[in-house]
Amino acid sequence: MSVRFRLITLAAVIFASMNLFAQLQVEVKDGAVAEYNMAVSPLAVLDGADAAMASEISSAIEKVLDITGYFKILDKRSFLEKPEVAFKAVNFKSWLDVGANGLIKGTVKGKDEIELELAFFDVAKGKPVVQKKYTSKAALAKKSAYRFAAEVIKLLTGEEMNFMFSKIAFVEKTGEKYTLVVTNFDGTGRKALYSTSKTILLPEWSADGSKIFFTSHEKNNPNLYSYDLKTSQIKTVSAYEGLNVSASAYPDNKTIALCLSKDGNSEIYSLDTTTNELKRLTVNSETDTAPSVSPDGQEIVFVSSRSGNPQVYKMSLSDLNKVERLTEQGNYNQDPEYSPDGKKVAFSGRDEKYQFDLFIIDLASRQISRITQNQGKNESPTFSPDSKVIGFSSNRSGKSKLFLSNVSGTRQIAVYSGEGEVLMPSWSPAETN
Amino acid sequence: MKQIFNFCAVAVFVFTVLCSCAGNPPKDERELAEKAFADAEAGKDCDRENYLAAEELLNQAREEVNNKNYDKAKELFNAVKEKSDAIAKYYREHPDECMTEKDKKGNGEDDGSIKEENITSNDAADPSVDPKNPEMDFQIIHFEYNQYAVLEEDLPKIDIMAQWMMNFPERVVRIEGHADERGSNDYNLSLGEKRAMEVKNKLIQAGIDSARIKIVSYGEERPVDPASNEEAWFKNRRAEFKREN
Repeated sequence: MSVRFRLITLAAVIFASMNLFAQLQVEVKDGAVAEYNMAVSPLAVLDGADAAMASEISSAIEKVLDITGYFKILDKRSFLEKPEVAFKAVNFKSWLDVGANGLIKGTVKGKDEIELELAFFDVAKGKPVVQKKYTSKAALAKKSAYRFAAEVIKLLTGEEMNFMFSKIAFVEKTGEKYTLVVTNFDGTGRKALYSTSKTILLPEWSADGSKIFFTSHEKNNPNLYSYDLKTSQIKTVSAYEGLNVSASAYPDNKTIALCLSKDGNSEIYSLDTTTNELKRLTVNSETDTAPSVSPDGQEIVFVSSRSGNPQVYKMSLSDLNKVERLTEQGNYNQDPEYSPDGKKVAFSGRDEKYQFDLFIIDLASRQISRITQNQGKNESPTFSPDSKVIGFSSNRSGKSKLFLSNVSGTRQIAVYSGEGEVLMPSWSPAETN
Repeated sequence: MKQIFNFCAVAVFVFTVLCSCAGNPPKDERELAEKAFADAEAGKDCDRENYLAAEELLNQAREEVNNKNYDKAKELFNAVKEKSDAIAKYYREHPDECMTEKDKKGNGEDDGSIKEENITSNDAADPSVDPKNPEMDFQIIHFEYNQYAVLEEDLPKIDIMAQWMMNFPERVVRIEGHADERGSNDYNLSLGEKRAMEVKNKLIQAGIDSARIKIVSYGEERPVDPASNEEAWFKNRRAEFKREN
């Protein structure tokens, strides 16, 4: 198939004056995007600014653009023009010569108080398109760069993306030791929250992003706990005999769906974490588990082996008899995850080669698209808050690492690998501040 | 045992001589009667009537001791000894007549019948799987991929476990359910739990109180073999018994 993919349709329609981007279109051939070549120049370091920080900022911009899959990031070593050249003096011919469609360059000034100037140029037109100046404390400079990148992406693709402002929680398992870890979306800024040899499993964020739910055998029963990111306090959320696993937050920020086995086998319940009121949602002699609540709190997707093998189902929370099976192919489909825009469900399934790969169901069309193939074991898909990127664990290059992929699967990169195995990632909600 | 018995008999005899005065229980008559009756047991099947009569007399004699009718008791003990001695003598002289029907069958060289014996003695059993051994090794139950039914060949392991729990009723066990690495962590936690639950149900069916059986699932978190191949996966799909106390 060949589709004309218009990158900036929306911007072009609304802002007639911006129709200079109308030629920024990308060919999509057989699922592969012919990328937009972006040159991200190293930043000019002025007035005692930290050179390391400057390079961190430019590579942060590169990483954000890269993971969308819409851009090919050009190799810095090929660039002909020095970073110190002023915005007004850019020699566009030298950028055309290295194959750039677009150019991002900038300057960073100051040590504690940072002044960051960034500009995006359309190389063919020889004109600046966006120019911004950000002033902030040093700690926030990277966030300024993310804002700029989000703006460039919006201009060129019409898509609002905010994945760069969020975090990912996951479990790092080194030998017998489990550590609950949070990093920035790109695997930087690792923070170890809690370690134990008694398992840490299935971390999941609360709706407001202030807590992380997880299961641990700390008391020799798989109980559900919450870790408060502000106070570092761990509280028991659910400790029924048997499983207390797979928490998924309702948008009300107090209710969670979870799997308990207290009634004889794995069933899904909703639990009001403020009143401890419990409501049973499934009744079945086979396993029902892994609930993921829809963003409007009206439905859940979950795994059930009621047909004999694990398959993904969708159930209405207002009418528990309204259950629909979403996966028909394959006999081992699990780990479903609702996208925050409510339009898609990602899951991991075992294919004909007995490998676990990631798939996405488009709920409107019921089309299933494949994200990974022939690349080891790929598990635990988790959507970024803008539904544009999925995080997952993959052992394609040996031990299991944190990977990101755009939702079409055309761009996949490893963003974090630690000493041990990276398992069960969970993407945070959108940042609120 | 016999030496101890003799020693006791002598001790009782000496004690009786030293304290032999009117109105005391007939200790040595009793001792002799009881010993004679015990010796007569071998011949009880060839002279059952006299054996039962001797037993009856012995009980009466004991009763008279309790009632402090020591003279009457002494008489009865002497009668017991007399009858018992007669039975024992007959047995010594006619051992074949005193064989039980069962003994005759067992001695089957002539009629070509089969001798059958139970050989579940402690000496013959492997103590590591002997349910009479309080420190018996618990065996591991294995499962097929994505299944929680106990394999036919593993059912005897559960029987042994049930016997052990019958033999040591104060013991509480924990069944840990495990899955292999394939599949999601949450599904594997449920699968491990199903496996542990299935084994628990089998023990309950065998008569074990459910309160004595705890279960816990570790999903895919505790493999015994970390390799990624069929052999390792088979080893890792398991239910293990652990002692809780």
